[in-house]
Amino acid sequence: MANNKIQLSASLYSLSSYYIKEIFSLEECLKAIRDYGFHGIEIVAAQMVPEYPSPSDKWLGEFKELMVKYDLKPVCYSAYIDYGIRSDRDLNTEEIIQFTVNDMIYAKKAGFGLVRTQHSITPEIYERMIPYCEKLDMKLAIEMHHPHHPHVPVWEKYLEFMNTKGKGYLGVVPDFGIFQLRPHKLLVERLKKAGFREDRLEKVLELHSSRAPLGEAMKLDLNHLEAEFTGSIYEKFNPINIDELAALIPVTPYIHGKFYYLENGDMDECIPYDRILPKLAELGYEGYIAAEYEGHHFNMEIDVPEQLKRYVALCNKYL
Amino acid sequence: MVLDFQYDELLLPDKSIVNMKAGDVLYGYAVSVRYPSYRGTFVSCIERLEVQVDGKEIAQNDMRFALNGKEFLVSQLGELSKEHWFVLDTASIIIMQDNGLSEGMHEVSVRLVHRIPYTGYFGQYLVLDSVCKKTLECKK
Repeated sequence: MANNKIQLSASLYSLSSYYIKEIFSLEECLKAIRDYGFHGIEIVAAQMVPEYPSPSDKWLGEFKELMVKYDLKPVCYSAYIDYGIRSDRDLNTEEIIQFTVNDMIYAKKAGFGLVRTQHSITPEIYERMIPYCEKLDMKLAIEMHHPHHPHVPVWEKYLEFMNTKGKGYLGVVPDFGIFQLRPHKLLVERLKKAGFREDRLEKVLELHSSRAPLGEAMKLDLNHLEAEFTGSIYEKFNPINIDELAALIPVTPYIHGKFYYLENGDMDECIPYDRILPKLAELGYEGYIAAEYEGHHFNMEIDVPEQLKRYVALCNKYL
Repeated sequence: MVLDFQYDELLLPDKSIVNMKAGDVLYGYAVSVRYPSYRGTFVSCIERLEVQVDGKEIAQNDMRFALNGKEFLVSQLGELSKEHWFVLDTASIIIMQDNGLSEGMHEVSVRLVHRIPYTGYFGQYLVLDSVCKKTLECKK
């Protein structure tokens, strides 16, 4: 890796299947991540903080000791906008603000400088978070996930705040899923298992890859389930142009290096790392790219340590 | 394309069924359950909890849900928006039954219908229907 302005971190969420099946404890996740060559971590608080949403000083102290022990930088504390926790109504604006402030306070206590939140925060709330960011000296960034892109109206508003009154504190976390070209291997396997006939699926993937319109794929002899899946494939794997990063990088404090399955450490067949990573360097991005392995949603049995090692090799190749 | 969330198998961990005693009176038995997801949730997100043991549906009034050192009636679950169920923590479903459950293997099936609180915003949440069935041992 020739670029020394870009560093690799890992979201502990990558190890979800190992953590949930209790193959790795939190400490073992941290040790593994350090061993594979990552220098920082992201924690999904609602996943790995046992006393969430308000961890005790004891737990926070132990967590900070682990960061020192494994020489890892706490980079990102990931929060949710859980509008739906009550059965009788959605949380209101004031409650979302206060829950987010709480996440920022606990992130600060745990040694993080950035909270990753979700696009559902709304522009109104996001703008009102700026004074809290300033007071706590805490960045609050929104993840840009598929199917969003910089020209969605709500994102135009977010980007405006990030570039003006919230500059330095508000920002975007681009998730590389926005550049995903085609379904990954684990999804293809799941589709087959769900009953998508292999020959039909191959044909659909071929048409999708060659950018034939959805109408053409729908002309194939597909049953109801297959037609529904085909619609989803077209809707979901509809990447934005990598050049869109130019507008995002000036307000990007952190990046989600999403991936689902790597056959090797040379190439991701679905997300064009070979083009994305040089682009980031060209745009002068400085900061962490967090490995965010998400194959566990599709197959819990995958060797995730191997996937993470391949990810490091892949990034080293193109940075 | 609802293919995500492949965690239902976690709902019933491989843990023995335990008979519950008050003094020397056996009043029921407890089945261990975990939250079937990659993250924890608030108990209020449980919309339905149903249990069958050896093919027999357990009445809602005959169940207690025990978590974080507290016990709740099924009818109370919807109110528990401050009670977090950590993803590695095991909760117990206590089933009221005179003399508890007999020693040996029993077929247990749990159905948990749960709302994912950050998805499908503005009133329309993704609600998952998780079912897990296992043969578990009740030890003496």
